[in-house]
Amino acid sequence: MNFPAELKYTKDHEWISLVDSKIGVTAYAIEQLGDIVHIELPEVGKEFKQGASFGTIESTKTVSDLYMPVNGKIVAVNQAVLKSPESLQADPYKNGWLIQVASSSADTPGLMTGKDYATFIAEH
Amino acid sequence: MAETEARKTPLFDRHKAAGAKLIEFGGWMMPVSYAGVLAEHKAVREKCGIFDVSHMGEIRVSGPAAEKFLQYVTMNDAAKLGPGQGQYSAILNEKGGMIDDLIVYRLGAEEFFICINAANRDKDFQWIKARSDGFDARVENESDLWAQLAVQGPTSKDAVLAVVDPGDRTKVEALPYTNITRAKFAGRECLVARTGYTGEHGYEIYLPASHAVTLWDSLLATAATTGIVPVGLGARDTLRLEACYLLYGNDMNDDTTPLEAGVAWAVKLAKPEFIGKEALVQQKSAGLKQKIVAFKMKEDGIPRHGMTVFWRGEPAGFVTSGSVLPTVGGAGGMAMVASTVVENEELEVDIRGKRKLATVVKRPLYSAKTK
Repeated sequence: MNFPAELKYTKDHEWISLVDSKIGVTAYAIEQLGDIVHIELPEVGKEFKQGASFGTIESTKTVSDLYMPVNGKIVAVNQAVLKSPESLQADPYKNGWLIQVASSSADTPGLMTGKDYATFIAEH
Repeated sequence: MAETEARKTPLFDRHKAAGAKLIEFGGWMMPVSYAGVLAEHKAVREKCGIFDVSHMGEIRVSGPAAEKFLQYVTMNDAAKLGPGQGQYSAILNEKGGMIDDLIVYRLGAEEFFICINAANRDKDFQWIKARSDGFDARVENESDLWAQLAVQGPTSKDAVLAVVDPGDRTKVEALPYTNITRAKFAGRECLVARTGYTGEHGYEIYLPASHAVTLWDSLLATAATTGIVPVGLGARDTLRLEACYLLYGNDMNDDTTPLEAGVAWAVKLAKPEFIGKEALVQQKSAGLKQKIVAFKMKEDGIPRHGMTVFWRGEPAGFVTSGSVLPTVGGAGGMAMVASTVVENEELEVDIRGKRKLATVVKRPLYSAKTK
């Protein structure tokens, strides 16, 4: 499974880009959830603390919370994935970003490298 | 429950090999999906799906007073069944609450076969057995003897006819909806019913557990002509929800009467005494306080079991089953609401603190052209 090196990862299976502070969910999470049928995201301008729930992602069977990898203010929301949540399956990273935040403190404690994340999910 | 504690069907290794996601359901490790819930749902609506439903339970009731006993212990009119006919029914407690919903088939003059829900296998058998005293009837729990495969969808007939032994082909081909017949597959006698839980034309095959892998493989081998694919519990749930079939434990339980659950058509109050009848007669004359309705979302969001439903601004009940509706489109489900709620009016569903608009619609949400 692919966990790009330019991203950092949480134990809750979100990723954040070190380049543009976009946030999404990992290929592993998508595989676990199955068909994604609905996503709810906050409005631009809202602020969240690290670890706070900023939205939900739903498969046919379950609803899961999305957690902020860092403290940050929402500057953009991906309208395309809201319209076609199933597109996340094919591409959870590039076009599959969910929100973009202003603060890009991607060196925030608690985030993992792709390699560490791969080890983490193998052990859980 | 850990994987090691849950029971496995005879097809467990087939599911693992096919890469199915497995979950614990009703004490069993069952496949929730193989290729994905939506793809499997579509396959059943357009072609054909095969489901391992070996977790379901089977009870045989036989003897001179078998019919008389079933008239007493179930709510539908078992006396109306001719040999080979089946009917949707339920066992009720004295308060009229549903202990389980089930299908009763008559195999012979003094022989009946009942299919019950997996999670209720022991509860049902004990209930039925305990009430058979004084009747000249045997009640046997055959749940461990039988595997069960459901073959559902527009091409299901082709799939089943391709694998049934030639001598039994004609009777399976002519089998009417809800009927059951004995038929051989690869030399082994099985029971084939024209029933299902998807809203499509389909079959439920009861077969010796030791024969399950052989028949599973031979049905899947018809894929080139029938398009048959394995389907898990995920799509089984979205398919049955569109067809508005009840799911025990979600849509109803021991406290729900069949009148409230919207299956009054299967309650025969005109027949002699049966357990729960008195309570149902009273409820009917007093008027229902609640009922199950179907609804479709008008606004974004997916309703889920337990969410509060509002009608004309007031709390009016809760969602019993909710999901995306892959064939119907959008999302929706069923809700237990105050009996005053009217069709075609708006409801609001409280989805995690936000009230989202929905419309009460006629059941079922989806209906196949032919079943």
